[in-house]
Amino acid sequence: MRRNRVLAAVAAGLLLTGALTACSATGEGGPVTVKLLQFQEARADVVKDLIPEFEKAMAKKGRPVKVDLVTDILTDDQFRTKITQQFYSGTAPDVVDMGGSNVTGMAGAGYLLKLDTYLRTWDGWDEYYPSVKKGARQRDGSYYSVPHEASVQSLFYRKDVLQRLGIDTAQPRTWNELIARLKKVRAKTGEAPLVIPAGTAWGGGSWTEGLLPIVAGTGSTLYDEKSGKWKLRSKGLSATFDLYADLVEADLLPVRDLHNPNPWEPTKYEKFPQGTLPVAAQGSWGWKYDWGPEGAAPIKNSREKIGTWDYPALVPGTEPAPISGGGFGYSVNADAAHPDAAVELAKWLSSGKALARQLTAVGAVSPRAGLADTAPYSNEPSLLQAEGKLKSSIQPPLGDGEDRVSQAVQSATAKILAGEADGSQAADAFAEEAEQLLGSTRVAE
Amino acid sequence: MTTVKNPAARPTRRRRERAALPLLLGPSVLLIAVFVIAPAAYGVYLGLTNTQLTGFAARDPQFVGLENFRNLLGSADFLESLGRTGEFVLWSAIIGQTVLGMLAALLLRQKWLRGKGLFGALMLLPMVVPEVVASLTWASVLSSESDGTFNRLLGLFGSGAAAPLQEYPMASVILINVWRGIAFAMIMFQAALEDVPDELIEASRMDGASALQVFRHITLPLIRGPVFLYLLLTTITTVGVFGLVYFLTQGGPGQDTEITSIYIFQSAFKYSQIGLGSAASVILLILLTILGMTYARLAKVEV
Repeated sequence: MRRNRVLAAVAAGLLLTGALTACSATGEGGPVTVKLLQFQEARADVVKDLIPEFEKAMAKKGRPVKVDLVTDILTDDQFRTKITQQFYSGTAPDVVDMGGSNVTGMAGAGYLLKLDTYLRTWDGWDEYYPSVKKGARQRDGSYYSVPHEASVQSLFYRKDVLQRLGIDTAQPRTWNELIARLKKVRAKTGEAPLVIPAGTAWGGGSWTEGLLPIVAGTGSTLYDEKSGKWKLRSKGLSATFDLYADLVEADLLPVRDLHNPNPWEPTKYEKFPQGTLPVAAQGSWGWKYDWGPEGAAPIKNSREKIGTWDYPALVPGTEPAPISGGGFGYSVNADAAHPDAAVELAKWLSSGKALARQLTAVGAVSPRAGLADTAPYSNEPSLLQAEGKLKSSIQPPLGDGEDRVSQAVQSATAKILAGEADGSQAADAFAEEAEQLLGSTRVAE
Repeated sequence: MTTVKNPAARPTRRRRERAALPLLLGPSVLLIAVFVIAPAAYGVYLGLTNTQLTGFAARDPQFVGLENFRNLLGSADFLESLGRTGEFVLWSAIIGQTVLGMLAALLLRQKWLRGKGLFGALMLLPMVVPEVVASLTWASVLSSESDGTFNRLLGLFGSGAAAPLQEYPMASVILINVWRGIAFAMIMFQAALEDVPDELIEASRMDGASALQVFRHITLPLIRGPVFLYLLLTTITTVGVFGLVYFLTQGGPGQDTEITSIYIFQSAFKYSQIGLGSAASVILLILLTILGMTYARLAKVEV
């Protein structure tokens, strides 16, 4: 009898322990935790301030969420390498804030949650600009990130410096026209006047901020969305590699600085602010992130000293045009424990005042309409002006295998910088390497 | 009193020894199998597939046979990286570290040398410093900025700023690797020189042999085994050097210092092509095995 009581007590104890454990495991009653990764300091700082507001908003809705912000400051390339390993090994956080060029490869590999259903039922999605939506749509027609910024790629120039040197600052119609002006600058200053990201040290920037905007402006098809194949030889590509070779040959590109392990430092952070390198291929984030008052290399009165040109025409039959440069978006881990809460966080951070504060902090352009009156974004005329250009900008193609193409671009442009290849040799080297990396099935004949 | 030998005793002992053998060897065999053979075998397997970490193809890796190997052996970039690795090993390990390590060991053997402790400590210092710290220190010293230590020194002589890591990248990383590796060579050669009898050297000096002749005909033949063993070890470790070069130049400028270890890292991790990177590792492993066997034969040492 006594033994039975003891057994019953033990059994009851076990059941109770089990029930309590189960409760704590599912988090019933308590907030669910969502881990958010930021790898750039400016973004992490602003999001850190926003998180309590999100948590309050969710608590008000009766769906409490606790956001655990993981700040891991890395360069773009370091981030890409690290997050890929984390996704592969199943240790990635729930929400990752990253550039659109990273999303393609990660979505393809199945690491990211498909967001189509969530976006369809979100009224905010209707406000996104078509070009941003197009840029975010992946090869399978689905969305794997909530874009929370956009950018316009232009040629930034030091208005004050060029005017002092007596150089025309009107929009150059063609690259030849621009090269003629740059030669005059070179003759007067003795220094290379233009930086375009190129070579291996700049990493993915040599592709997204370097070659891609120039090729996109030529009108040649680089990626055929219908067939899902890359066209690795075209008039536009040849002209672009020839342009790089011409710029190097005429000493218009700072080759030595481009060989620096952090090539943006001597060029965009030192020489452009000093005015000794007065033209830089740059995304609209340059206004704040690079040269704003709290940027990496502040330029006083930047609105007065800096101007922007659209990319000049490179091949006959084209016109100067601004190029859409993409931007960061929030992606959700396909294995996130609480996907609904993770998507809620992504949507909240991509709306209203939270979005306005992030855009202002990093100097990005709004990816959706209706934000022009929301402070502090409404106080940023340069960004609003760039947003106006976004509607007419050319959207460069993005497709599966983009990281392979980026690799081939880096190595082909590195050959030009090293003086090992002229334009046509670099174009051949690019096509050969990209085909080898992509595999023949992903290359158009 | 006579003792009677038990004829069954020896076989029993042998049986016991045989039974103990798996127990004694088992743990090491298991560790080697788990931590060396299995990863190497998995590496070979991955080298035969198109495994990648990103893109739609990552979802369904395919067996591609020797395609990765064919691509690599036909790739100018990979072959050039092998050439640069050879250059790096030859100048920094085989010539630089060996010659300077031997000189340091010979110097420390001299009775007239004062402050041996300090000298030895100074030589050992680069080996004690972690690789990352050593690389970043040198990156700072050789910085192309005018406030880099090297450029400040140049400034004292009225010279303009230089950028050795960009203008002479391979020579720079070779010199830094020599600096870092002298200590190991010195220790190995010091230990070997301890076994060379002083009488032999004294006798040859009395016969009128010069210092160089003594070294060439007496010392070197006697320490041949350890020298080849050192060459084997330093070749293997230098081929595997990654952090030192990566933190100094990241393989650049361009591809000027992209040795094979960096090529492998970039293929496998930066560009997420695990299959291709694994195949490159396998090729390197085969080359190192051939080189190691050649050294072992030349030295006539059992490894």
